[in-house]
Amino acid sequence: MPVRLPGVLKSRMIKFSLSAIAFLFCAFVVGDELFYRLASWPKPSYNFKENELTKAKTMLGRVLFYDPILSADSNISCSSCHSPYNAFSHVDHALSHGIHDSIGIRNAPVLINLAWQKTFMWDGAINNLDVQSLAPISHPAEMGSNISQVVKKLNRQKLYKKLFFDAYKDSIATGEHTLKAIAQFLITIVSYNSKYDKVMHQQAQFSPQEQNGYKIFKKKCAACHTEPLFTNGDFVNNGIGVDTLLNDLGRMRVTQRKEDAYKFKVPTLRNIEYSYPYMHDGRFKKLGEVLNHYSNGIKQSETLSGKLKSGLTLSANEKVDLMAFLLTLSDKQFLFDANFAYPKEFLSKQ
Amino acid sequence: MPICSMFLFSLEHINAQCLTITVLATFNNQGLIMNDTVYPLSDNHRIKFESFKFYMTNVVLENNNQPVWIEDNSYHLVDFDDLDSNQLCIEIPDDLVFNAIKFTLGIDSATNASGVKGGDLDPSKGMYWTWQSGYINFKLEGTSNLCNNPKNQFEFHLGGYIPPYNNAQQVNLSVANPNKFKIIFKLDKFVNALNLSEVNHIMSPNQFAVDHARSAARCFEITND
Repeated sequence: MPVRLPGVLKSRMIKFSLSAIAFLFCAFVVGDELFYRLASWPKPSYNFKENELTKAKTMLGRVLFYDPILSADSNISCSSCHSPYNAFSHVDHALSHGIHDSIGIRNAPVLINLAWQKTFMWDGAINNLDVQSLAPISHPAEMGSNISQVVKKLNRQKLYKKLFFDAYKDSIATGEHTLKAIAQFLITIVSYNSKYDKVMHQQAQFSPQEQNGYKIFKKKCAACHTEPLFTNGDFVNNGIGVDTLLNDLGRMRVTQRKEDAYKFKVPTLRNIEYSYPYMHDGRFKKLGEVLNHYSNGIKQSETLSGKLKSGLTLSANEKVDLMAFLLTLSDKQFLFDANFAYPKEFLSKQ
Repeated sequence: MPICSMFLFSLEHINAQCLTITVLATFNNQGLIMNDTVYPLSDNHRIKFESFKFYMTNVVLENNNQPVWIEDNSYHLVDFDDLDSNQLCIEIPDDLVFNAIKFTLGIDSATNASGVKGGDLDPSKGMYWTWQSGYINFKLEGTSNLCNNPKNQFEFHLGGYIPPYNNAQQVNLSVANPNKFKIIFKLDKFVNALNLSEVNHIMSPNQFAVDHARSAARCFEITND
């Protein structure tokens, strides 16, 4: 017969076991105070030797990330389209908008576990995280500025004299130091604390529904959304068909090869619950629409992924279970991590 | 060393090993003047230049086809709007004998793929593409009534490091008098090889960019004036 415990004791026990789980989970986490990850994960692709992480550089990068000074009219910051509460994507906007309410042609991607990415942007046009932020700074529909303008503006601010000095022992901002500092902050944005991660390290258990969803996932989705990062980094035409108004050629724009037409980077599924809307042009508002696309909506074309030629067979129940699994990739600790948040101590809100 | 050009005058006096190489651009044998000067082309056409810069990298001095000096960390941005930048200071040993200079017009693939750099390679110099990764090796902008677009503009941003559109070009020049020589870029030769009415904007790595970079590499000469 089960023993009934008094309420207080019960809640204490729950607290104790939760902290025990948290403690045990810590044993699988490696890294210093700036860059945590799970020991079981693959080696990051980022070249830490070229841009060694330090606290001061990371902080400079974090301040730059949240400061609209990077845009021509000082209104748009990186976080305008990459909000931490949406897994660093653009909440509710199919196509991200930037300076003077201009609309771009793509949905701002999530910024998660970038240290493992080899190429950046939906089409992989950027080959190194250190140069990535040049693209939004310069794009006329994003920040509409350029790095030399940004450097001039930074050098007029007392705040940055101190931050650059702390980071580089040189109070004068340069393009190189500005870009590298932003990359440093981006590197630290790691999500490894989802229920999925805890289950993988025997610190939690899937519900039967999540377990079944995981089984379906491994069979039908994992070829592209490969664990543990939930992307294989490849470029794929997933059959959503071209939006004829945008006519975005995707990867072909970079390689100029016909066989790359309409291919886009496989995004990570971590924190997928928060990064709606979905796809490179944000055409699906809900996760259910995404699953319906893979089961019934595949549009045939020459460069369509071979794996999707006849769609994915998913029953209504399977979709529900799959969805339950996808929600185990949410990482609340990541979303509300104080180390990634708006640096109030340096930037006062206007 | 890129930074040398900034301190050219002091270096000339204190460092006898600094070989100063002047890089000039000429149009019809006259020194190029940017912005205001209108240059005549054939058939009543005209041309004006607003921006002209390129990278000279991996400088090697040779004597009878044998390399005798390889410059370390060899990246020079030559910008004809910044007169200091066209005086390259190459630090060489005393009494070095050479009769040829070799360099690359543009940035090598490895540098292009290895993130952000400082000095002459700092992206704030305006020679790094932003919508995709990679340096612009050669940039020429201006206007000509040959260009059939609203503002009669031409923009040649030549670059690219991924085969088959690897854009960097090797330039080899003989130097008859190593004590007194300048490198000149014959801009009129480059312009006369263009087809401005048809091709006036090249902004991405492609075959056009490679062809134009090859054409640019042929416009360098040595003068002893």
